[in-house]
Parts: sequence; C-alpha cells; structure tokens
Amino acid sequence: MQQYIIRRVLLNIVVIFLVITAVFIGLRATPGDFAVHQAASQVTAVHTMDEAIAVVRHDLGLDRPILEQYGSFVADFFRGDLGDSFITKQPVMAELKDRLAPSVELAILQILIAVVVSVPVGILSAVRQDTWLDYILRFFAIFWLGVPSFFVGILLLYFLARWAHWSPPITDYQDFFRNPWVNLQAMVLPAVVGGLAVGAIIMRFLRSQLLEVLRQDYVRTAWSKGLRERAVIMHHALKNALIPVLTVVGLLLAAVASGNVVLETLFNLPGLGAYVVNAAWQDDYPVVQGVVLLIATGLVFVNLLVDVAYAWLDPRIRYG
Amino acid sequence: MLTGRQDVGLEVLVAAQEPYAVRELGWLGLLGRFIRRKPLGTFGMGVVLALSLAAGAAPWLSHYDAEENFYVANPAYVPGTFEPEQKLDARSGPSWKHWFGTDQFGRDNYARVVWGARRSLGVALGALLFAIIFGTAIGTVSGYFRGWLDMFLQRIMDCIQAFPAMLILLLLVALTEPNLVTLSMGLGFVALTGVQRIIRSAVFTAREEPHVEAARAIGCSHLRLMAVHILPNVATPIIVVFSIGLGSIILAEAALAFLGLAPIEPPSWGMMLNEGRAYMMNQPSTMLAGGLAITLAVLGFNLAGDALRDFLDPRIRLQ
Repeated sequence: MQQYIIRRVLLNIVVIFLVITAVFIGLRATPGDFAVHQAASQVTAVHTMDEAIAVVRHDLGLDRPILEQYGSFVADFFRGDLGDSFITKQPVMAELKDRLAPSVELAILQILIAVVVSVPVGILSAVRQDTWLDYILRFFAIFWLGVPSFFVGILLLYFLARWAHWSPPITDYQDFFRNPWVNLQAMVLPAVVGGLAVGAIIMRFLRSQLLEVLRQDYVRTAWSKGLRERAVIMHHALKNALIPVLTVVGLLLAAVASGNVVLETLFNLPGLGAYVVNAAWQDDYPVVQGVVLLIATGLVFVNLLVDVAYAWLDPRIRYG
Repeated sequence: MLTGRQDVGLEVLVAAQEPYAVRELGWLGLLGRFIRRKPLGTFGMGVVLALSLAAGAAPWLSHYDAEENFYVANPAYVPGTFEPEQKLDARSGPSWKHWFGTDQFGRDNYARVVWGARRSLGVALGALLFAIIFGTAIGTVSGYFRGWLDMFLQRIMDCIQAFPAMLILLLLVALTEPNLVTLSMGLGFVALTGVQRIIRSAVFTAREEPHVEAARAIGCSHLRLMAVHILPNVATPIIVVFSIGLGSIILAEAALAFLGLAPIEPPSWGMMLNEGRAYMMNQPSTMLAGGLAITLAVLGFNLAGDALRDFLDPRIRLQ
C-alpha cells in the first residue's frame, strides 16, 4: 500500500512538472508574440511600439536565456507567484484567492447532485434491465449527454422568469458563510444543470458496471442462499460496482471544470471560470495562464487522492 | 460535458477485420439490419445526413444571405418628417418570410442556422481529421514499440489530459488571434488523447496477430509493418472514434462561440444562442434557433456514433 502511494505521488509530481513545462512552452512557442503585443498596447510610459514591446518582454522575462526563464518560472510557481495581470497590474495569485470559493462550492454541489441522482437511477436501470423503465431512464441519460448545459441553463432562466416569475439573484452574489440563502439561490441552477450532465455519465457507467457484477458467481450464490433482492443488490453487488465509478468521478472533474467555465459565465458567478473567460476576452495572458496552472495542478492532486482511495477500497489494485 | 474524455470504458474496441456480415448480407442487407436493430441510431444517422446536406448545400437551401439585413415598412412614417420610410425588421418571430424569425440586426435566422451547419461541421471535421491523423500516428507508434517510448508518450498524454479541455482552448485564445484553422487545430489537439488511447489499445491486439508475426519473420521493416499490416486492423476503431468525436467537438466549438471567443465571421449557432439570450424575454426565436440547432447536432452525432459502435464491435454483434 505504502509503496503504491509513493509510486503514485512520484508519478504525479512528474505530471505536474510536465504541466508547468507545457504552459511555459505555450507562450514561448507561439509565433507572432500576440500576447506581448497585446500587453505592449497598454504601456503608456514610452513613445514607440518597439520600446513598449521591449518593456513587456523584460517584464515577462522573455529577454533572458531560456533555461534561466524556465528555472525562475518553476521557482515562482512553487512560491505561489503567478505573475501580474496585464490589465489590472495586480498579482494574479491575490485575485485568484477570492475567486476560488464559488468555483469549489459549485463543483462540490454538482458532484453531490450527480451522485445523489445517478446512483439510485443507475441501480434501478440495471436491476430492471430491458424493461420500459430502463429504456426511459437510459433515454433521459443519453438526452442529457447531448443537450448542451448552457442551453438548458438559458431555457431554465427563460421559463422560470416567464412562468414562475423568479430569477436567481444574478447581480448580487453573496458568500455562502455570510448569507447562505442568497448564495444557494444563485447556485441552484448551475448546480442542477451541471450536476445532471455529469450524473448522466455516472449513471450509464454505474449501470454497465452493475450489469457485469450481477452476472458474477458470488451474486448467484447470494441469490440461491435465498437473500432478498434488496440485500443482494445493496450488500453484494453494489459495493463492487461502485469502486470503478469512483475513478470515473475523479476523471470527470476535468469535465466539470470545463463545463463550469461556461456555466459560471452564464449565471454570473464570480468564480474562476468567469474570471478566466473575462481574461481571455481581454487577452490578459498571465491571468489565463495562472488559472490554467492552478486548476490543472489541483486536478492532478484530486486524481491522486482518488487513486489512493481506490487502492484502499479495492485490495486487488495494490498488487497490480 | 466536453470532448471525448468521457469514453472511459471504451478502450476495448477490438478491430473486426473481416466483416463476415458483409459477405452474408451485402451492404443493403446490413443497412436494413442496422435500421431494425438501432432505431435511435437510425434517427441519429438521419440528423447527421440532414446536417451534412445543409452544410453542403447551404447556398441553395437558404434563399437569403446570412449577413443580409432586412427592412420592413415603418408604420410611423410620415413624409416630410425625420421618421425613416423603412425600419429594421429586427427580433421578429417566425413568419412565412423568415421561418425562424430574425435577429437583432434583422438577419434571417433560418439562413444563419443553415450556414452555421457549414461552419460547425467544417470546424469539427477539420479538428477530427487533425486528431485522427496525429492520434493514429502516436497511438500506433506507442502501441507498436511499447517499452520506454510508450511510457514516455503516455506520460505526455496524461499531462495533456490533466488540463480541462476548455482551459486549453482559452489558453489558445489568449495566445493567438484564433481563426477557423487554428481553432480546428486547438479542438483537434484536445481530442487527441482520447483518440490515441483507443488506437493504442487496438494496436496492442493487432500486433500479436499471426499475419503480423509472419510479416515480421520475413523481415519487413517497422514502418512497413505498421503501415501495411497493422493500420488496416485499426480501421474500425477509427470509424467509431470519428462518429463519436464529432458531437463533442461541435459542442466545444459552440461553447467557445457562446462565450464570444471564436471567430465571428461565418455565422455560428453558439453565437446565435448568446446574442438571442439578451432579448429572449421579448422574442426567444434567435435563442431557440441557435440552441436547438446545437442540441440536435450533438444528439444526432452521439446517437449515430453510439449505435455504430455497438454495431461494429464484434463482441456485441455475437450476442
């Protein structure tokens, strides 16, 4: 177990280094210096464009030897220094801290909703395989996979405003710990929309896992012992079917982060997603780079935790 | 919601090299069997065909230009005053003249949906071609040589996969001024990891087949082994990847356009959805036209791809 965890940690450190390197290469390898030009157009202290470009290249450290640049880039990252925004001239890290809470809260709510909805539905669908109930549930799952979550979000906003005369508090965001009621009102729509989209994937995966497990010998033994259906499904089948589902939940976090970029913008939540879209709009490269680095390394860590939990739950993995 | 990353359980595609069913039934019989067994897949295929038709025949299907601004007579017009004789026919609902209504600039929504099909399918096709060419190359080399090269390539793929797809695209937008070509390449890059993983596992199986071993025994070079003897074996997974990938790429492109980060010039569904959102409380026609077009396209490609995968996967066909 210990050896397995150490191996995973080392592998993830390698991946984090590769992530940092990839982002580092991004700015240096794109032809045309678009980001540099963009920043230079905002420098007002000098007279010519060439001078402004030189200033920006110096600020970004692009005029130094490439290895030195890489060294300080990595060192800065581990010190928590992600550079300054082109637009506001503030350190990116300081701005990120305020934006982290709504994003994390939204992701947690979505995963919660996804699991609460998809696990019972997936069990029902597998246990009643090939009945009309199964067909209806599967059709809904396929449907949810295809419908873009931002379109569902807009439709919800439209119909809620039209028929229920209710719309979420979109202009006035409140922190959860200060005003949970207003906060949850703002969160409920993106959480449900995004949660169901992820839930559809989990449900389909759980269903196929459960169908496989239900055909195993030990489940047949459980049936022939005369156990009730509830006991066979809950105690014998579900435990083993849920383990692979856990890994999928970990992998899905990347999809959740992608989807939330759009949902946060749509529902005007002041999270990382809305922040990074706004920065991309203004070609504020250091901000985009900072958010990408933060989220990517965060996801690597979460996946590490999932892997460890997986090994802890399933003894077969450790020797694999 | 994005890109082919959700296909976690699907790396088990084994190539059905010799389609026995084709020999027995012929292509028409095979089509008949597909329609009978996969009604939802047939619906998806229908949507895919209709969209391809719209994309191919956009100039003939839409009798208006996508950028043309339409005007109607101004009821407040009085000769000799400043009131203009005509006003913009903007934000109108469906009518006989404009089937899906008009948008805020008085442009025909139906024409924009039809031209949007050409843009969406074009970008998605370009992206998928990019992903398949490079994904097949990486997957084949990785699966064929194995060992440290495989290890090295797969760690790089892990690293790409650590990034959420949307963030890679945002990075691209911040680094360059994207046009349709670079956008396709970016979307293709995001889809690359999923494609190469499926190809790689298919190559793992294919390289152990007797005919490959025989070819190796008579001294074929690595390149010839890969290109002539292994690549035809992974043709089926490539077809499946192709049909499944298109839906998620269309979705990703629509999301980018919705955020206002994609090129605006050929009309796009995501942009219609975003623009129509501003005045949907008065007139939802533009929002609905854009949103329904995206939904139908993604759903159609997903259903068709799912059915095609079940149909082509020999292990399922045996049951």
